Amino acid sequence: MMLEVKNLVKEFGGLVANAGISLELQRGEVLGLIGPNGAGKSTLFNCIAGYYKPTGGHILFEGKDITGWPSHLVAREGIARTFQGMKIMPNLTVGENVMIGAFCRTNDRRIALKEAGEILDLMGLDGETEAYPAELPIASQKRIELARAIATKPKLLMLDEMAAGLNPLETKEIIQALQRIKEDRKLTLFLTEHVMEFVMTVSQRVIVMSAGKKITEGPPAEVARQEKVIEAYLGERYAKGR
Amino acid sequence: MRQLLIDIFSFGDRPRFEKIGFLIFLLIVLIFPWIVTSAYGRAVMIKFLLFALFGLGWNLIGGYGGQVDLGQAKNVGFGAYATALMIVWWKIPFWVTIPVGMFFAVLESFLVAYPMFRLKGHYFAIATLCVALVWKELFIFWDWTGGARGVEIPIRTGVDFAYMQFNSAIYYHYFILFLFLTQLLFMNWFRKSKMGYWVQAVRDNEEAAASMGINVTNTKVKAYCIAAALGAVGGSFMAVYYLYIDPDAVMPLDLSILIAMTVMVGGAGSIWGPIIGAAILIPLDMYLGAWLGAQKRLGIDFMIYAMIMMVIAAKEPRGIWGIIERVRKKRSR
Repeated sequence: MMLEVKNLVKEFGGLVANAGISLELQRGEVLGLIGPNGAGKSTLFNCIAGYYKPTGGHILFEGKDITGWPSHLVAREGIARTFQGMKIMPNLTVGENVMIGAFCRTNDRRIALKEAGEILDLMGLDGETEAYPAELPIASQKRIELARAIATKPKLLMLDEMAAGLNPLETKEIIQALQRIKEDRKLTLFLTEHVMEFVMTVSQRVIVMSAGKKITEGPPAEVARQEKVIEAYLGERYAKGR
Repeated sequence: MRQLLIDIFSFGDRPRFEKIGFLIFLLIVLIFPWIVTSAYGRAVMIKFLLFALFGLGWNLIGGYGGQVDLGQAKNVGFGAYATALMIVWWKIPFWVTIPVGMFFAVLESFLVAYPMFRLKGHYFAIATLCVALVWKELFIFWDWTGGARGVEIPIRTGVDFAYMQFNSAIYYHYFILFLFLTQLLFMNWFRKSKMGYWVQAVRDNEEAAASMGINVTNTKVKAYCIAAALGAVGGSFMAVYYLYIDPDAVMPLDLSILIAMTVMVGGAGSIWGPIIGAAILIPLDMYLGAWLGAQKRLGIDFMIYAMIMMVIAAKEPRGIWGIIERVRKKRSR
């Protein structure tokens, strides 16, 4: 068992963003997390990654209780993440951005530099090492974030809205890059996504959230047909009319 | 060990024009006192090197770290007072007092850093400014520091390398040049080190930095403490150079602001920025001092600095070094 979330609760004042979420994630699995806006997907992500302290419940990573750990310790434990709105270091070059990720596991600049180079190769960014992120298109910036996360040598990689803002071709390319890296680095993936094409092709299993609760889970094709999922997305009328 | 030495001394990763520029600069500062023999000219040069040194230290927290610290003068003061008081009280040689000054600067910075780094941006800047002003008032108020009368270091005749007192400005020139170059080489190592990259990652995006295993607060505190240690060295030099210090000379608000300004004008976050900034502002400062005379106290010089600052902030926030980089990028295309 890679990741185990037990009855996680997160409240913001009176608002309950996560009302007792439980989930399990096996090693090597690709788990998708979907749900309409405001379902609490990002909150769940931020709780696991240490950006929010959960109000209740437990998060176990490889059997270790990491509930409420600060995000840098979670990262060192082996959980890397990308951000919904990209968070790239604008004043550092692409190579340096990725290198800082590699510094998570080494103190030696030369080792970090070499690892950054390898990952940039793998991501098809090897020509842009010296460029500044702002000079590159959005799709490349997403790859930088991905490369940087991978450079920290994670066991579990959490992707928050990876395909947002990309056109279908770019989405396809990033799916390919992701699958290549998953094989290469033997990663476990946990992703949340609005772009259904992305989440349905990549995920082996999908969890559907709505209004802070987990409403169902299962293989993507199966989940998409369920009435309560359609209801969560489109409203009761559409679900009944089907 | 060999790698460490290479990291300290090598500018190999910099473009060629920077290396040539640095060599020319080195040559000028090495032969300067033999070409310029006037006491005034030499004094301007020594002050330039001193403020370039201050700039290097401040650049670590303010440039690479992106934390606008407006209280560097307190660290200068700690260094200056450590040196002056130890020489006056116990006749301890100068070179022993340098690490003591650095120690107190780091200790104080470490103690105030954690509460201070709960603040961000302008609020952090205001906090650093307040802390520095409190220390200055304390040093005026206390008796053991000599109060507002300050501390006078007894004059020694001839050339004394234990207490670093000399009868010629040439010695002081090479003395401050040596201190400046050690800090330049330290910064050359620092900018390539893991710590250097972490500090920059925290400056650019704290949340992203944390997601890569960087302890954001610890990184800021470390940067703040290292910068304090570097500033204290310059303070120690001031004590034996001027032979008289008081809180108004070594820890005023003006000094904090001038240090921050040299870096911002020259280019924060680049290795050459502080040197360029000091090369512009220090001769200007000395010239204005001579021209305005007593009126300098009215703050006319600061009005001129403020105007320079506004132009820099509006045209190129990365300072003069930013302009140079931009021109070069355009040319290479």
